[in-house]
Amino acid sequence: MAEVEETLKRIQTHKGVIGTIVVNAEGIPIRTTLDNSTTVQYAGLLHQLTIKARSTVRDIDPQNDLTFLRIRSKKHEIMVAPDKEYLLIVIQNPSE
Amino acid sequence: MSPSSQSVSTPSEAGSQESVNGGTVGRTLQWDTDPSVLQLLGDSDVGRKIHKLGASKITQVDILPKELVTYCKETQTPLAPHQSEEEEEDEEIPVPKAETETDLQDNEDNQEYTEAHPRELTEEEKQQITHSEDFLVFFDRTIRVMERALAEDSDIFFDYSGRDMEDRDGDTQAGCNLSFNRFFYDEHWSKHRVVTCLDWSPQFSELMVASYNANEDTPHEPDGVVLVWNMKFKKTTPEYIFHCQSSVMSVGFAQFHPNLVVGGTYSGQIVLWDNRSHRRTPVQRTPLSSAAHTHPVYCVNVVGTQNANNLISVSTDGKMCSWSLDMLSQPMESMELVYNKSKPVAVTGMAFPAGDVNNFVVGSEEGTVYAASRHGSKAGIGEMFEGHQGPVTGISCHNAVGPIDFSHLFTTSSFDWTVKLWTTKHNKPLYSFEDNADYVYDVMWSPVHPALFASVDGMGRLDLWNLHNDTEVPTASVTVEGSCALNRVRWATGGREVAVGDSEGRVWIYDVGEQLAAPHPEDWSRFARTLVEIRANQGDSEEEGAMEMAA
Repeated sequence: MAEVEETLKRIQTHKGVIGTIVVNAEGIPIRTTLDNSTTVQYAGLLHQLTIKARSTVRDIDPQNDLTFLRIRSKKHEIMVAPDKEYLLIVIQNPSE
Repeated sequence: MSPSSQSVSTPSEAGSQESVNGGTVGRTLQWDTDPSVLQLLGDSDVGRKIHKLGASKITQVDILPKELVTYCKETQTPLAPHQSEEEEEDEEIPVPKAETETDLQDNEDNQEYTEAHPRELTEEEKQQITHSEDFLVFFDRTIRVMERALAEDSDIFFDYSGRDMEDRDGDTQAGCNLSFNRFFYDEHWSKHRVVTCLDWSPQFSELMVASYNANEDTPHEPDGVVLVWNMKFKKTTPEYIFHCQSSVMSVGFAQFHPNLVVGGTYSGQIVLWDNRSHRRTPVQRTPLSSAAHTHPVYCVNVVGTQNANNLISVSTDGKMCSWSLDMLSQPMESMELVYNKSKPVAVTGMAFPAGDVNNFVVGSEEGTVYAASRHGSKAGIGEMFEGHQGPVTGISCHNAVGPIDFSHLFTTSSFDWTVKLWTTKHNKPLYSFEDNADYVYDVMWSPVHPALFASVDGMGRLDLWNLHNDTEVPTASVTVEGSCALNRVRWATGGREVAVGDSEGRVWIYDVGEQLAAPHPEDWSRFARTLVEIRANQGDSEEEGAMEMAA
C-alpha cells in the first residue's frame, strides 16, 4: 500500500536516520532504503542476532519474549523491532 | 552410476532394456508401439542403451555414507535446538529411497538452502507480502514503537567535562503562569483544516484527540479527519489517524469505553472509531434518517456511570438524541428542543453540570442560553437565559469538585466579544467579561481550580481568568504565534495543561504554572465570597426587581 511507502519515507527523513530495512522471517529483505549489498549484510547479520537474542531471553525465562533490540555503537544506533513474522530495522546516527 | 539410475527410468525403456540384454531374440515390444524405436533397436549394437530423444529428468540420488547415528546431546533439552533439527533432516534423506524423484530433489534443495545465502525475492513477491494483512498489522504496531524510540533523543553519553557549558537562560520564568509546551501538527492531515473539537482521554492523561474539518485544497482526501496525539513521547506524528466522509464537528473519547472515539459530523451522522481495529474508517455509524440527526452535530457527550451510560448528541435543528454505544442503528430516545412549544433551538453548544445526567444547558445561535432536562415532568427546555447579543460559541459548566458545590454556575462565550458568567438560578448573567476585541470562540472551566477558566478568541489570544485576582482583565494571557484564530480550548484532566486548536490545523499545548493552576482547599470558600461580591455588584447595577427563579 502507498501508506507503507509513505511511512517508510517519513522515517527515513527523520533526524539522523541512515537506513530502514524490513525483513521477513527467513532473513530476506522486503523493503529497504539502503543499497543491496549493505541491505543483505545487515539483514542477514541482524536476523541471526535477533534469533540469538530471542533465544537468550526465552532461555532465561520461557514466559518471556524479545520485544525490542537496540545496539548502540560508536557511530550508530541500530534499532530492531522483532515480530513473529517480520523484523523492522532502523539505523540512526543519534548525535545528529 | 548411470546404469543404476536407469533402473528407475520409464517402464517402456525398462522393458526394452530387458529384451536387449536377453539377446537379439527379445524384439517383442508389446507396450512400445513407436515404429521408429523398433527400427533403432534392430540396428543398434548389442548392449548399447538407446535413449528416446526427449527431455528426461536427471535423477540424482545421493547415497550418503552410512552415518553412525550418535546423538551428541545429553538427555536434557539441548542448548541449541536449532542445530539438532538440522541433523535430523540429514538423516531423513537416505532413509526413504523409494521416494519419487521430485521429493528427493526438494530435500536436496532444502539442504543447500539452509546453508547457502538467502535467495532473493522477486518484486512481485515483495509486493504481495507488503499487501498482506499480517504485514500491515505488524507494520502499524511496530512503526509506532519505532517512531517513539527515534524521537527520544536523550544522549546518554553526553560528557559534561569535555566542553564548555553554554550559559543557559536563567529560567526566571519557572513559575510563569502560562508557557508554551509544544504543538501538534501533521503535514498531511492537518494542513488547511480547522480544528473543530478537542478532548482529553479520561484513561490516559497523555492522549488527546482533535477533529478537523474539510480541506478545500484536497477534494480527494476524506472530509473529516480525527487524530489522536500523544503528549508523552516527543514524536511528532499522531498515534492514530481516523477518517470520515463528512467533516467532523465534535469529537470525544467515550468515557466508559477506553477504545472508542465518538464523532459528530456535519451531515448529522454520529460515527464511532475503534483503535483496536486497523481500519481508519468508522466501525459504526448512525443512519442518516429522520429518526436520527439530519443537521450538523456540534455536541456529543457521554454521560452516566459505568453501568448505565448514554451518548447524548444534539444537532443544530434542536433535535437531541440519546444513544447506546452498543447499538447506533437507532436512538434510544429522541427529543426536540423547542422553546415556547414552537421555536426549535439551534444548538451550538451543550454542557452537563458535574454529576448530573438529567439537567443540562445549551447555547444557541440566537444568543440565548437555555436550561433543559432530559427526563421528568418538565422534559425539554426549561428556563431561558438572555444576555448575549450574538451566537453562543462555547458553554461550560463549573466542574471543579470541592467542599462547596458550584455546579449551578456556567460560563458562555459568544460572537459579541464577551464571556458571561451565569448561575442557573438567575436568568440574567452574573458577570460579563469584556476584555476581548474579537469573537470569543470557546471557554472552559478548569477541572481542578474553582475560580479559574480559559477562553480563546479570534485574534489568537488565550486568556486565563482567575476570579480571585481580577474580574476585569485576565490573570494570564498569551497570543499564539501565527496570527490565526483559536477555535477551541480544553483543559487537561489534571488541570495543568491547556490545549488550544486553531484555524490552521495546529493544536497548541500550554503549561499552566503551579501557582495559577493548583487549587488550595480555601479556594472554594474564597470563591464563594467572590461570588457574593460579584452578585452584590450586579445587584447594584440592576434594579432591585431581579427575580430569583424557582429552582
